[in-house]
Amino acid sequence: MNHLHSPYLLVVEDSDEDFEALQRVLSRSCTDFHIDVKRCSCGDDALELMRKESTSSKNAHLPSLVLLDLNLPGTDGREVLIEIKQDEVLKSIPVVILTTSSNPKDIQSCYRYGANSYLIKPMDVQQLKTTVCSTMDYWLKIVALPG
Amino acid sequence: MTEMLVSDFVAQTKAAIASITAPDISMSTVDINNCDREPIHIPAAVQPHGVLIAARPDSWTITHVSQNSTEQIGRSPADLLGNSLHTLLHEEQISAIQACLRGDFEAVNPLRLTLEVERASRAFAMVVHRSNDVVVLEFEPVEDLQQTFNFFDFHKLVKRPISRFQQAKSLGELCRVAVEELKQVTGFDRVMVYRFDEDGSGSVIAEAKQPDMTPYLGLRYPATDIPKQAKYLYLLNLLRLIPEVGYEPVPVVTASDTNAGQADAAIESPTALEGSAPLDMTLSALRSVSPLHTEYLTNMGVCASMSISLVTGNQLWGLIACHHNSPRRLPYEQRTICEFLGQAIALELAAKETNENIDYKLKIKALQTKFVETLTHSETLKDGLTDDPQSLLALTNSAGAAFCENGEITLIGETPEIQDIEKMLPWLDGEFASGAVYSTTTLSQDYLPAADFTEHASGLLALSISRAQRLCVLWFRPEVVQTVDWGGNPEKPVETSDGGVATLSPRRSFALWRQIVQFRSLPWLSCEIEAALELRSAVIGLVLQRADELAQLNSELERSNVELDNFAYIASHDLKEPLRGIHSYSSFLIEDYGDRLGDDGTRKLQTLMRLTTRMEDLIGSLLHYSRIGRAELLIEPVDLNQLVEGVVNLIQMSRSKATSFIIPEPLPTFACDQTQVTELFTNLISNAVKYNDKPEKQVEIGCMSAQEAMAQGCLPDSLRTSIGDEAAAYSSVFYVRDNGIGIKQKHMDAIFRIFKRLHAQNRFGGGTGAGLTIAKKVVERHGGSLWLTSTFGEGSTFYFTLEQASSQSDGAAQPPSEESTEAIEMTGESATTGEATL
Repeated sequence: MNHLHSPYLLVVEDSDEDFEALQRVLSRSCTDFHIDVKRCSCGDDALELMRKESTSSKNAHLPSLVLLDLNLPGTDGREVLIEIKQDEVLKSIPVVILTTSSNPKDIQSCYRYGANSYLIKPMDVQQLKTTVCSTMDYWLKIVALPG
Repeated sequence: MTEMLVSDFVAQTKAAIASITAPDISMSTVDINNCDREPIHIPAAVQPHGVLIAARPDSWTITHVSQNSTEQIGRSPADLLGNSLHTLLHEEQISAIQACLRGDFEAVNPLRLTLEVERASRAFAMVVHRSNDVVVLEFEPVEDLQQTFNFFDFHKLVKRPISRFQQAKSLGELCRVAVEELKQVTGFDRVMVYRFDEDGSGSVIAEAKQPDMTPYLGLRYPATDIPKQAKYLYLLNLLRLIPEVGYEPVPVVTASDTNAGQADAAIESPTALEGSAPLDMTLSALRSVSPLHTEYLTNMGVCASMSISLVTGNQLWGLIACHHNSPRRLPYEQRTICEFLGQAIALELAAKETNENIDYKLKIKALQTKFVETLTHSETLKDGLTDDPQSLLALTNSAGAAFCENGEITLIGETPEIQDIEKMLPWLDGEFASGAVYSTTTLSQDYLPAADFTEHASGLLALSISRAQRLCVLWFRPEVVQTVDWGGNPEKPVETSDGGVATLSPRRSFALWRQIVQFRSLPWLSCEIEAALELRSAVIGLVLQRADELAQLNSELERSNVELDNFAYIASHDLKEPLRGIHSYSSFLIEDYGDRLGDDGTRKLQTLMRLTTRMEDLIGSLLHYSRIGRAELLIEPVDLNQLVEGVVNLIQMSRSKATSFIIPEPLPTFACDQTQVTELFTNLISNAVKYNDKPEKQVEIGCMSAQEAMAQGCLPDSLRTSIGDEAAAYSSVFYVRDNGIGIKQKHMDAIFRIFKRLHAQNRFGGGTGAGLTIAKKVVERHGGSLWLTSTFGEGSTFYFTLEQASSQSDGAAQPPSEESTEAIEMTGESATTGEATL
């Protein structure tokens, strides 16, 4: 039995290719630390997973950081963000939006609903590497996260 | 009106009579000047052919008696007044009167009875009615007591006339039949239908007479011939008979009168006077008429007269007037038949009037339908109403029309001058305050300045469609000099009596008196006025319908905008995702299998990756362009000096090569959308830097007035006309001038097309080719224009305005003057650079 849960990153992403690229970048390029990755490919799964953890009486095993795509099948990423940020327990988890949308309206509304960062998915793999590595570096090494 | 209770109608009409009459005018003081106020309903006198007795219904105490009671019924007024009716009538007769009072008048009237007069029995027909707090009994002697009328007599007499009335095909025919039948029934020498006009005057529209009599048919009589209160009486008492015009009125006396008469010394009892209000004789058959009326009839040569009212919708439509050359009595039963026939005629009148001019009415209806149809398909109300001028005129049978909308007047046909109509409109607006339609046949009487244009506009029918929008239609009718045939000169003549005192009395001559009437048009028919009003309803209906349609279009537009927005978003997102996949996997291939692919394979994969990046840029530009077009503008004053400085700083940071930026004069603060205008300057200035191969790049940013631009010959013609000379001094023209590569004349249109590039991708720093398209969009969103002048190889100047100049110019890429065109042609060698479009 694990008394101390290992920290993990929750990636909410429906595109297999994008997820593979992300994983590849995480494992190959961001090599100076390791973190477990859990993936949900739709918004409902992600919410269900986090709610289950938050309501279990002890040992809530919540993600250290959520990487959230906006365009998801079923419950949309925007709704997932709203649900997380309105939940008394879940709202302390940092949520980083990682999306194709460069629509100013999306950027505006995500921050308004409490997104902690908004990243536009770069086309270029090299840029993706830089983006992902700096983001992980910042959120997992530089800042202090809630217990 | 039709819903009004009979009792209400009687009360209102009586009140109207009371309000216009003066009780202090008596039969001896009335003359032609005050006859319009003579209280003809309370004459306190009867005609001598019968006796009037009034009694209280509770005690049967007699209150009023006509002074001819002695000779007619053998009892003096003094005998009767103050005594019970029982002294005169039997118990059964009084019971019959009581039955009358319970409401069964018609079944009892007239009550036939005999009275002992000078030891001989005399037969009477007695008619009972109630007047305020007394019961009025009117006794008329009859020749033969046995001669009674029954239902079958009645039926025999009315059957034929009624069926002829019903069969009459027109109003004219109905009136002709009416006079024929009534002449037959009454035996009068002359029977006429007299119809009132709106102004109160009237004319004889049908006549049946003895062959030797002068015809009155077609003659008109002034309103003053029948005063208003007489008209009201005609409404309540439908038949009035004067068997002998030259009669001496018989006073109706009360107890106080007889006391005074019998003993001069006796002091009148004040209480008796107080209690005796004048007897209201409105419904009395024996009522003595105005002395002026009998004088009038005498002057006309009439010896007996009877009038039957024609009442439609509680209005006195006209009268059936019967004249006889000798005295003529008509028993109660016959009078009842006449009254009944009058009511039957009146009922038919309404139906016949509706059918009158039926063809003309149908034609108007057809025109109306056509108008509604035209209006539905017209761009504007003005087009709909004025495109078919003949129909607009025909709708009201007019010679001219004017359509007025917010002070703009469109004339059709024969009309007054535009400035005359303009001057008339404020007056007309006052008339519209009381109704949407104003019509007159004598405009110059209502509106004095119209005297100048009576030839075209003696008649006016004005229809207000919207007072707020000063929207109205005017129809004009020309003057038609008309003759009116009066029954004698209608002007009241002054007669000087022997004593030299001027008294006025009714005219003596009723011979045809022909009057020429000028400055008057033909009358507007009620169906024409209705046509105008219905046109108004149709227009208002259509305007409301348009508003509905517009609202619907708006909501559809909104929906399609939202859809477009979604579309652009979905396109950008969903197209980008697979592209990113291709890019990533190409990159993974190189990373994982680079050694096996070799240089050539790797290079090809790198090309694949470059292409996907480029495609992503294009999608991004397209998305951006669509956003610029739809984003809401936030117009506020923007200091363009600061804005341009910011743009220049940014461009200087990202480009290494030195460029000198010149702003010759401070730029203005200008009302515009800061974000979009920043992008506009950014695109123009960065192009100026980018497409520049000179060792010393120069970019000049400035602003001048449209006037200066005109003077320099760099304002497109289309813009010059739309701005206009006056506004040119205040309109700002901005420009960005460079010493760059220049643009050939033939490409000046193409450069604004999205993704159109004039050069290979790798030259001049690449780019998607959306910059100028976006710049132009920003300018157009602000209502301005963007154009350029350029000399190939020497440089270009992009000009733009940021405010509305009434019409959009498409001369954006047009050379403003020949001079610059030549310059371009002269240097217009073939392009050395490749042109690529993706």
